[in-house]
Amino acid sequence: MQSHIYEPVIGLEVHIQLLTQSKAFCGDDISFGAEANSQTSTISLAHPGTLPRANKKQVELAIRLGIALGCEITSTTYFDRKHYFYADLPKGFQTTQDSRPICMGGTIEVGEGTSRREIRIHHIHMEEDAGKSIHDQSSEGSLIDYNRAGVPLLELVTEPDLRSSEEVYQFINKLRQLVRYLDVSDGNMEEGSLRADCNVSIRPKGSSELNTRCEIKNINSARFAARAVDFEIRRQSEILEKGGTIIQETREYSPGDDRTVPLRGKEEAHDYRYFPEPDLPPLSISDEMLRKVKSSLPILPAQWHNKFTTEFGLSIYDADLLVEHREIAQSFDTLLQKSPDIQPSLLSKLYINKIIPHCNESGISIGEFEVPGQHIVSFLELIETDKISTSVAYQKLWPALLETKEHPQLLAQKLNLIQSFDEDYIAESVKLVLIENPAKVEAYKKGKKALLSFFIGQVMRKTNGKANPQITRKILQSELNSSTD
Amino acid sequence: MKIDLDLIVKLENLARLELTEDERKVLQKDLQEMIGMVSKLEELDLADVEPLRHVTEVTNVLREDKVEGQLSQEKVFLNAPDREGSYFRVPKVIDRKEE
Repeated sequence: MQSHIYEPVIGLEVHIQLLTQSKAFCGDDISFGAEANSQTSTISLAHPGTLPRANKKQVELAIRLGIALGCEITSTTYFDRKHYFYADLPKGFQTTQDSRPICMGGTIEVGEGTSRREIRIHHIHMEEDAGKSIHDQSSEGSLIDYNRAGVPLLELVTEPDLRSSEEVYQFINKLRQLVRYLDVSDGNMEEGSLRADCNVSIRPKGSSELNTRCEIKNINSARFAARAVDFEIRRQSEILEKGGTIIQETREYSPGDDRTVPLRGKEEAHDYRYFPEPDLPPLSISDEMLRKVKSSLPILPAQWHNKFTTEFGLSIYDADLLVEHREIAQSFDTLLQKSPDIQPSLLSKLYINKIIPHCNESGISIGEFEVPGQHIVSFLELIETDKISTSVAYQKLWPALLETKEHPQLLAQKLNLIQSFDEDYIAESVKLVLIENPAKVEAYKKGKKALLSFFIGQVMRKTNGKANPQITRKILQSELNSSTD
Repeated sequence: MKIDLDLIVKLENLARLELTEDERKVLQKDLQEMIGMVSKLEELDLADVEPLRHVTEVTNVLREDKVEGQLSQEKVFLNAPDREGSYFRVPKVIDRKEE
């Protein structure tokens, strides 16, 4: 949804919940879905006299994401206090990083081909989550659950480089894919492990000014983020076209009626009075620590994608699907390395059409897939060497293979699926088919040549899919044409 | 830096305090003196001096990522003025305006 006169200028702030066991500054459990206030301690409840200590894993995961995104890692990094009053923030301040965030710079690419663009990351900082307020369950007040208070987050802040809702959608999905590859976060947006704030303003196309923006807070789906941005572009364009002015405000997206509405109470200018957190000493990131993290990075989606398209000659579409999850890309590559004779595109089709959907439906990971790799390879060899037609392989042999896990070659013989090139055998079936369908033969002779595929289908049926299609076609054509004379 | 009454009222708001007129005057005078004392620093050229953020020279005080030290449900609410089930209850804190 793009206006012809205006272009949007969009920056994102994405909160990423880290895959740790415990909170950022104390040992509370952070598992999702526990009973309210069962994962709290004197530190997360802000009792006086308590002393926070930073979680080592949180720091490592921040560095891990930073290196993967090409950020510069700050050698001495600090925590700061950000002050505001809210019931879900018991300390009266959030522990965060202001003046020296752990990661600076870096980029994420969106788009393909000529529309490929680099979105610059301003910085990534470590912080803690607030508790959860529930406003609509009690008539007498708001209810607060502090299980989430102190859960470790990274906040990734982009430059205002995004120019469409499609780019926002891609950016969030790419980031989610990356944090999953890196085991930095589970990336589960429904459970709030990844939440985006979108800063949206519009300006006349071709202009370079930055106008008043609105911030849409806490969106928990890439699709909703794209829709919220579309709505904001429309809303702001309408205001400007009517000669109005945009008010800087915080809004929230409501998926039910697909619009954004203002949130009150956040509009007065904030004075967070950031100052150094005296209870948490500085972190000094050594070169050795950087090297350790660097050497533990897995192959990243972009690297797999590049390998699959250039080395294996797969389409961008196929490569996109295969690199979606680290385990799938890894298993695909491993299988190809072990069996270099297999055509990558054949294996890719099998993964995309059969193996990945099967794993999704049965709720198993690719590592738990029951058919051993060498069976998959010999299954494809049967197709490649024309021992069995692709359609029979997919429709008959594959389900049998899933069920029995027997060697495909033996299985194909047992089920009588090996393709026949025997002209006499095929000719016999052709004759039978023609005798059984006199009306169709008549119609064909009168010019309804499209019936040829019907006859081929019938022969296939009679031979249980074994007849080689090319030979079948040749015999059928000669039979039908000769009897015309 | 001049400490005027507007600043005192602003600080009151930020700290969620309500002072009487007399208290404001006392605070204004105290604060003016404190700021005056610290302003001495402005006489020095500190352009190349990094701010001192921590007085100890300790770094990297980290804990292993382990679950420990959680409170039991009954202890959690010992100091809570109000609760509902397993939630803390506070006065309503949000309202939305419709467009």
